[in-house]
Amino acid sequence: MVNIIAVTACPSGVAHTYMAAESLEKAAKEKGWQCKVETQGSIGIENELTAEDVANADFIILTNDIGIKNQERFKNKPIARIAISDAVKKADLILKKIEENLNK
Amino acid sequence: MSDLVLILKNTRQHLMTGVSHMIPFVVSGGILLAVSVMLLGQGGVPDPVNDPFLNKLFQIGAAGLALMIPFLAAYVGYSISERAALAPCAIGAWVGTTFGAGFFGALIAGLIGGIIVFYLKRIKVPPILRSVMPIFIIPIVGTFLTAGIMMWVLGEPVGLLTTSLTSWLRSMQDGSIVILALIMGAMLGFDLGGPVNKVAYAFMLICVGEGIYTIVAIAAVGIAVPSIGTGLATLIGKNVFSKEEKETGKAAIVMGLVGVTEGAIPFAAADPLKIIPSTMLGSAVGGAVAALLGAECYAGWGGLIVLPVVTGKLSFIFAIAVGSLTCALAIVFLKKFITSKVKINKEESNDEDIDISFDIG
Repeated sequence: MVNIIAVTACPSGVAHTYMAAESLEKAAKEKGWQCKVETQGSIGIENELTAEDVANADFIILTNDIGIKNQERFKNKPIARIAISDAVKKADLILKKIEENLNK
Repeated sequence: MSDLVLILKNTRQHLMTGVSHMIPFVVSGGILLAVSVMLLGQGGVPDPVNDPFLNKLFQIGAAGLALMIPFLAAYVGYSISERAALAPCAIGAWVGTTFGAGFFGALIAGLIGGIIVFYLKRIKVPPILRSVMPIFIIPIVGTFLTAGIMMWVLGEPVGLLTTSLTSWLRSMQDGSIVILALIMGAMLGFDLGGPVNKVAYAFMLICVGEGIYTIVAIAAVGIAVPSIGTGLATLIGKNVFSKEEKETGKAAIVMGLVGVTEGAIPFAAADPLKIIPSTMLGSAVGGAVAALLGAECYAGWGGLIVLPVVTGKLSFIFAIAVGSLTCALAIVFLKKFITSKVKINKEESNDEDIDISFDIG
């Protein structure tokens, strides 16, 4: 099974961050993929990714609207950087692109 | 050199990281300051002798607003070169405030400091000196350069620019402020919490910092309208929305009331060609009404939740109502009279504009 992890964050940290997380999780579920999403909202980091999560991940999705904290954790892992609005609206498409990339 | 290009290419991301950390300062400082002024009820600074409590409350609020500048710069720098950039950028921005460089000074100090620290971190040193770099060299040299640039070079011109921009905005009369309101409203309603919306929001925060509360009120209305308006549309146009959409509509109204524009997104995602023009129109109209009636908002946030710190409360509510109703009617109208076609467009746009970049480590 494909195992992806993601970190979402947006400037105000109240809405997009969580909507993106939800829609990525939903799209992954539809595909039968495993997916864990860390949110870096205005409250702080929630559902934090562990070192184990990172080690086991096949692909990492990061939103690019604001800087993601602790990015050095993902060194040497395949990363897809996306706009948070695309994560909200087109999560399925993002996963499709990642799938294409994985099959390469 | 390519590093510098990369940093500058991501300027927006760095600035937004700064803005995102600044928001709590603007909201808490702005509201506490506004509450003290409102409770006094004379539109001035509470006197320490006659109103000691309100004066102290005012001071707390003022502290929040003053701190927003160094924190903005610090986190713009943080986004570029992480922890080491915090001090140089914050100090640089603080130096800028002595010239009145304020918000713009902070953005500039943040970018410059971030870039300077980025290169300082690159300097190769012998192992014995390695621990000296982060503790002494980077903070001291970084701060000297960043704050020095603000102190001797950029502080004064940016300060002049800020002052003249502020007095120009303050002097805006009927016609021009309505145009500004239309533009800000359209921007806020365009991508509903996305990049364009955040540019207008950042502008609103500048106006809080500079004390131009009429423009803040325009934005506060424009922020609330898209969510309330689309929610309202699901109540008015019963037969053009699905059952789920009606549920989402109720949630959207609540989000709009607390100043979260993103409530309209589920609708805009499903039917962008009809929703987005309507939310732009609604926010623009609402903002223009607020401008004409001269409502003033003291907090850097939108929606009815800031009502306690609004002067001209009825005008403010009226502006939100007119804007939301305009938005709702436009949506219902478009949904009723223009059908089909859009589905095809949606399919197309789904495959085209997605912004994804791979970085295979």
